[in-house]
Amino acid sequence: MSDAALNPVRLNPTPVRTIAAKDIRDALRDRFILIVTAFLGIAALVALVTGAIALRSDVATYEAAKASLLALGKSADAIKAPEFYPLRLLRGAIEQIEIIGAAIAILIGYRSAASERGRQTLALMLTRPMRQWQFVAGKALAGIGLLAGGLALVLGGLTLLLHLLSGIGLGMDDLLRIAVVWGVAVAYTACFFLVSFILSLHMKQPSHALLLAFAIWLTLVLIAPQIGDTLDPDNQVAGGVFKQLNIAKPDQIQIMKGFATFETVRGGIEQASVTKQFERFTFAVLGIKATYAGMPLGPILIEMLGNLIWIFLTALGLGALALALPLNPDRLAKA
Amino acid sequence: MPEPMIRLNRLTQSFDGMTAVDALSMDIAQGAIFGFLGHNGAGKTTTIQMLTTLARPASGTATVAGHDICNAPLEVRRRIGYVPENVRLYDTLTAAENLMFFARLSGVTAPQRRVNEVLELLDCTYLADKRVGGFSKGMRQRIGLAQAILHRPAVLFLDEPTSGLDPMGIKMLRDLVLRLNTEFGMTIFMNTHLISEIAKTCTSIAVLSHGKLVFHDRIEAVTARYGDDAALEELYLSLTPVGRLAEVA
Repeated sequence: MSDAALNPVRLNPTPVRTIAAKDIRDALRDRFILIVTAFLGIAALVALVTGAIALRSDVATYEAAKASLLALGKSADAIKAPEFYPLRLLRGAIEQIEIIGAAIAILIGYRSAASERGRQTLALMLTRPMRQWQFVAGKALAGIGLLAGGLALVLGGLTLLLHLLSGIGLGMDDLLRIAVVWGVAVAYTACFFLVSFILSLHMKQPSHALLLAFAIWLTLVLIAPQIGDTLDPDNQVAGGVFKQLNIAKPDQIQIMKGFATFETVRGGIEQASVTKQFERFTFAVLGIKATYAGMPLGPILIEMLGNLIWIFLTALGLGALALALPLNPDRLAKA
Repeated sequence: MPEPMIRLNRLTQSFDGMTAVDALSMDIAQGAIFGFLGHNGAGKTTTIQMLTTLARPASGTATVAGHDICNAPLEVRRRIGYVPENVRLYDTLTAAENLMFFARLSGVTAPQRRVNEVLELLDCTYLADKRVGGFSKGMRQRIGLAQAILHRPAVLFLDEPTSGLDPMGIKMLRDLVLRLNTEFGMTIFMNTHLISEIAKTCTSIAVLSHGKLVFHDRIEAVTARYGDDAALEELYLSLTPVGRLAEVA
């Protein structure tokens, strides 16, 4: 008589945790994850250093202009000192997360599903006393956990560097803003992880799924925001077309009324991209967009709530889809 | 008459309008070593997928260890072990870590102790702390079998277990299957191409051709009727399309 018949094995209450722990251990031993995280870190660091150099150049130019004016015996009040918001230096890092972070999330999602299919371990897991959703939840938890860890390392490292290099240090408000950005960055990259994971788990060929996931990435991360930006009249001329023509605000509004349909389409294309939502939110929270520089965090969060909801709803919707889709047994067979 | 360990009742599966398994009905007794023969694409793996609850049948029913595969899949899963063909496990994890993972998923109460027991049973203790990525096919197959018996299932499903193994590996696997059957009373359901293994290991056999059951009997009855291994091969070939083509030629 078998052990199972004599002493029925209890239904394991924690397969989600078990699968997630295994996946994280497996991934951490795989150099691939470490290499891509290091790559993101280096890209973000380069962006930070580039931003710091640009700021230093602005300050040097200001100092030179101020010295010249003072040497001529004139007041330096006529020139405006460059504003220094240390968090603005994170702009490049945010752009790297938008592009490279999303691409890394796609690779992690692909690896998470395709490796189980290729090794036939997917079939082994699904013949254990657990539900299919628990398998998906465990895998998703591990993938999102890895992304969260990687982003925490990158943003944490940059924060430390910023704190040491800025000379003025970072306050609690700054740290809170970076923490909020980290949370939203996790949700943003989770969207791409889930797209890639779902496709790689359910499509006949995981390699085709990876290609499709990158096509989606290209559309959402690069094409849609670019279309929106390019068609924006404010971006046609440096400083904005209305500003260059010295058109007053009420007139601008009147003119734009004639382009209502165009603006709706442009806005729709731009807003359909979760990347644009992420960019708007993070640029506002970090004060990268001039309008929000110096503004307290609370009102910014209220104003950007729409973007925040969009990002989290996309991630949650994809998560729900991953849990709900039944697995085709063909995907469990020999690769 | 004891209840059969596995009962198939008009079990059917089809993909894209093609019938892969066609109204399969048979009983497999408790404690049997059952050899499931058939040509490539006959429907053997599809049958195992349904019996292991990986796929829902299009129609028909089956019970494993007294539990319906459709209505009580979790109960079935608690009582089965499964070794797919060419299982690779997790290369970056050690053999012991791989087994701990599957032991926890199976809800084994003292997983570390059970992993040690199984490694000892399969003479694999020396592999415990080695990463699976460096294992030979035979070693992988042994750890693949180990993961399937961690929770001491009532029924063990093996899909082409000897595929890619050398003669030593095949003998090792045969000895293990016989040991699991005699020492732990496990019922073994084995998909295979190797007729010589069927004669040496199995207590009953069935032949599947294009999804239909064309033969099912106890091995003693087969050998009494048809004679030795060579006659068994003749029987198999006469029941499969390749064999029939050879006859025509």
